[in-house]
Parts: sequence; structure tokens; C-alpha cells
Amino acid sequence: MDKIAEVVESSTSQFTAQCYELHQAPPLGSLVKAGAGAVAVYAVVSQVITASVEPGRRAIARGKDEVDETAVYRENPQLLKLLRTDFTALVVGHRQETKLHHYLPPQPARLHSFVYVCEAQELQEFSQRFDCLSLLLAAQPAGLGDELIAAFLRQAAQAHQDHHKFLVAAGKELAVLLNGQTSRLNAILRRMKE
Amino acid sequence: MPLDLHRLMPQIEVMASKLKTAQEEQRQQLQRALDTLHKCDMAALKRKIATSRTTWLVADPMENPANFYDHVACPSDYCVVAADGSQIDIDRHSLAHCLLINLGAILLSYGSKPDAQLLSQPMLYSEQADLVIADPSAGRQETVQGPLLGLKRTIAECQLLVDLLRGLGNERPALGLLDGSLILWALERQTYETFVREAILDKGLLPSLATTKELSQSRMLALASYISYPGSTEVVNILRVALCPHDPADCDRYCWGKRQLGERPCDEVSGLRDRDLFYRVLKTGQRSALFMSRSSILKYYGEHQICFFYLCLEGEIARIELPIWVAQNKAALELTHSLILEQCRKGQGYPLALSEAHELAVVSGADREQFWQLVQASFVERHLPEQVSAKSYSKRTRWL
Repeated sequence: MDKIAEVVESSTSQFTAQCYELHQAPPLGSLVKAGAGAVAVYAVVSQVITASVEPGRRAIARGKDEVDETAVYRENPQLLKLLRTDFTALVVGHRQETKLHHYLPPQPARLHSFVYVCEAQELQEFSQRFDCLSLLLAAQPAGLGDELIAAFLRQAAQAHQDHHKFLVAAGKELAVLLNGQTSRLNAILRRMKE
Repeated sequence: MPLDLHRLMPQIEVMASKLKTAQEEQRQQLQRALDTLHKCDMAALKRKIATSRTTWLVADPMENPANFYDHVACPSDYCVVAADGSQIDIDRHSLAHCLLINLGAILLSYGSKPDAQLLSQPMLYSEQADLVIADPSAGRQETVQGPLLGLKRTIAECQLLVDLLRGLGNERPALGLLDGSLILWALERQTYETFVREAILDKGLLPSLATTKELSQSRMLALASYISYPGSTEVVNILRVALCPHDPADCDRYCWGKRQLGERPCDEVSGLRDRDLFYRVLKTGQRSALFMSRSSILKYYGEHQICFFYLCLEGEIARIELPIWVAQNKAALELTHSLILEQCRKGQGYPLALSEAHELAVVSGADREQFWQLVQASFVERHLPEQVSAKSYSKRTRWL
């Protein structure tokens, strides 16, 4: 498993990681883990941002005279060093030694922990239970949680042998969590299938 | 309230209205300057410049001053290297007697293998030997602060640039760029002793120029410095010599004490700057003729005499300075012209490499504050005295 990023800001409920390669953040809803030692923190990618390395500097349009977007980077090689891609991930569980827990860890991910994208087997193991859905539903701003759940479940379904059975089980769990919010539930269910 | 804007505003209004009047006067001066430029008898003018004695600096035209050149196409693969620096001067009110030079540099490769290397190199000087320039034979020394620190920084920038140029492969043409002037004006304006000049020039700038010259003999390599919105008047002063009715011109002999400022024949163009002139002469992308500076400090530059040309960009004229061995190499000169132009296109009007080198070198107010805090913390940790002057304490602590 290759590390893809490093934690640069961390709290109990989320962390931000800087990608080693520009524009190479994991897709929205991916399950990632920070740390590969005795304690690993699991989180779902909730926000990806690419911007200047320095907070006071903004990227400007550079492609007016270029034929395609790759030419912008070819003609401005400094961009690869002056831009950074960060992603924020909401913490949904942790592993202590060999035991997997679907609740927040006692300590946040350590700064400079390496971040890995969970492979199919680990994603399949983590998504055996749906405890993380309530954490994701509460994500801010409003509406983000619904998108995250749909994205996370779509990817998790690919890790399970019977995709359909997995999505039905997840839908049932959501129906309980969103009791009385039929239209919201339906909107998430539609996005899970697409 | 530190600045009373209500009382200041009428003064700003007066200044603006005076500038408006001066614009018309400048327009007439400019026309006179252009007429003079286009009527120059090159051989006679060069002879007159060489024999004249003026109280202002006159450039030596290396060709007809009215000449101008379009740029050639950039090579497909090339490198641009730039270095810049900033400093924290010795603060005599502070606890630590030290100075800091922060260098920033960037190496940009364009073409088939685009790449960028960024470098930031802070250097703290606190040893007595680093804080002074000494003349061991006579026991004299000069403290490195103020303009002398600026000179030390320029040398460090140039050395870093040369180190980076030396590390380049031979296969691509390359341009080394510095910000500001290659002519160390501070050495000319300040009354430093010989040992200071020797330390700055003979052991500082000139060896770097010599190394670059040597490198340029085995590969396509140019070195230049870039001055944005230059205030120089050396080319306009050529026209002042041309307008002077005396041959040779001699300011002290013919005008000093005899004519008021504004009444001399050369005052017909004396309010202009070179950039005003070339803004009318050149089209965007074109460069001017080559000139050689006649600054008195250049008599110590030996084979590295400094030449310059003006370059017309969108909305501004820049002055490009280069050693004579670059100016006399047609391919290197054309490379300098076209690559600086391309860098300005990429950098929104200012060479991108210099702009990024500056970003890597700059020491902001917050950095400065943090630096002194780190110094203080380090002193506290070692139980060293951390006393600061009352004035410094007063400036940092504001009370009512």
C-alpha cells in the first residue's frame, strides 16, 4: 500500500492531508487511513482543494494562449511546486492493534502521519457495519453528508461480492436513521444506485 | 492619530495639479529629444562624449542610439535561473548582534523536460569576522550594515546564481537573471576604503562574473540583471551632450555659476528619463541599441564592463544590464532579449523567475518578528542575558 498524503492538520473528528502529488487526491467518499502502526485512524474523504502553497497567493489564469490544459503546466513548470492539493477527511473509526472500532479514536491522527487509500479488502471489512453513516449524515455544510454517504456506499459496494445485497442493507440502515425524512432518504438512495 | 489625512489632502491636490502642468512640458521635451536622437552623427557624438566633462553620467553608445531590434524566437528547450535575496540588518537595540541574509533561487526548465527547482537558503551571521570587512594589514574594519549589507547580499545572490548555472547540463541554452543592477552603485556613492572595495568586487562579484564567463565559453549561457521602471538618465544625457553648443561640453566651465538650472541649452531635455524616451522609440517586444555604462566604479570591473539596453514591455520599459562578453555575443544577446520577454509574458509583465525567486527570498514583517522571538527563546533557554534597549521596548509595547 503506497502512501499518498500526509496529515497537516488534525482534530478528533477530521483531518486534512496534503497530497504528495498535485491533483492526486482520492475521490470524494473514499475510505482512507492515517497511520500504519499500532493505531490507524479511518476517515472518509469529504473535501478536496487545490490552491497555492502560500495562503496569501492566488492562482491566476494562464492558459489564454495555450491549446490545451496540459500546455499550461508544461509552460509553467513552477506550478507543480507552488500549488498543493489537500483533502479533508471525516474520521469514522480507528484500529487499535488488530481491533477495528467504528467510533472516534481517543486521540486524533498525529500530524505528519502518512495517509493511505484503503484497498478493497480493508474497505470491505470496515463497511461490514454501518455505524459511520450517522457521523457522515451530520457533516457540514448541509447537504454534504448526503453526498458523502452516497459516494462512500457506491465505492464500498464495489468491495463486496454481492453489490446489490450490500446496498439494500445500507438503504435499510439509512431508512432508520432518516425516519420521517422520506424525500432526503430517496435522494440518497437514488445517488447510491447511479 | 499618526497621520492627519484631512490636512494632507490639500497638499496632495496641489501636487497632482502641478504634475498635470508638467506633463505638457514633458511632451515638448520628448519631441525635442526624439528629434535630437534621430539626427545624431554617431562618430562625432562618440568623440564629443569621450572628451566632454559633465556633472551627470553619460552612457557610451555602442551603436547608433536610435537603433532598435525585434526579438528572435525562443529556443525549444532552455533554462532560466534566477536568484534574489533579502536581509535582516544588525539591530543595535537588540539582544543579539547578528544579521541574516535569506537567498531565494529558482531553476526553471522549459521544453521537452519541463521542471522547476526551488531553493530558499537562510544564512545567519553572528561571528565577528562575518559582521565586518577587515583590512588585516592596517587593522581597520568596516561593519557590514546598511548599504554594505546590501552589497554583501548582492554578492551572495550572484554566487548562488553561478553555483546553479554551474550545475546545469550543457545541452540547453540558459539565462541567469538577477534583480537590480550589476553596477554596484553603493560602492561608488559611499566613501568606502580600498579594502572594502576589494572585498566586495575583487573577492566577491568579479570572481562570480569570471566563472560565468568561463562557463559561457563552452555552452550557450547568458547573464543579465533586470531593472523594472528604471529611473536612469544616461541615454537622455547623451542627447544633452549633443545639444550642448560647446565641444567638448564642460559643465563647470560653461554653465556652473553662469546659468540657472532650466536655462542651460541641455535643459531642453534634462527633465526626461531614459524610459520616457524609449517608450516612444520602441514597440512592445523590441529592445533598444546597446550602451555601455560609464559609471566610475566600472573602472575596477576589468573585462566585465557592464552594458545595457532598454526593453519595451506591455506598459513599461525595463532596463537590462549585462556584462560586455554577453553583449558582444550576438546569440547570447538575442537569447537574453527573447527569454526575458518570454519570462515577462509568463510573469504578467515581470520576469516570472525573478518574481518566484523574490517570493522564496522575501523576509516579511511577520518573519522578522518570528526570527527575533526565536532568538529570544534560544537565549532564554540558555540563561543568556536578553536585555533590549529601552527604545526597542518602547516601540514594541504601546501604551496610553
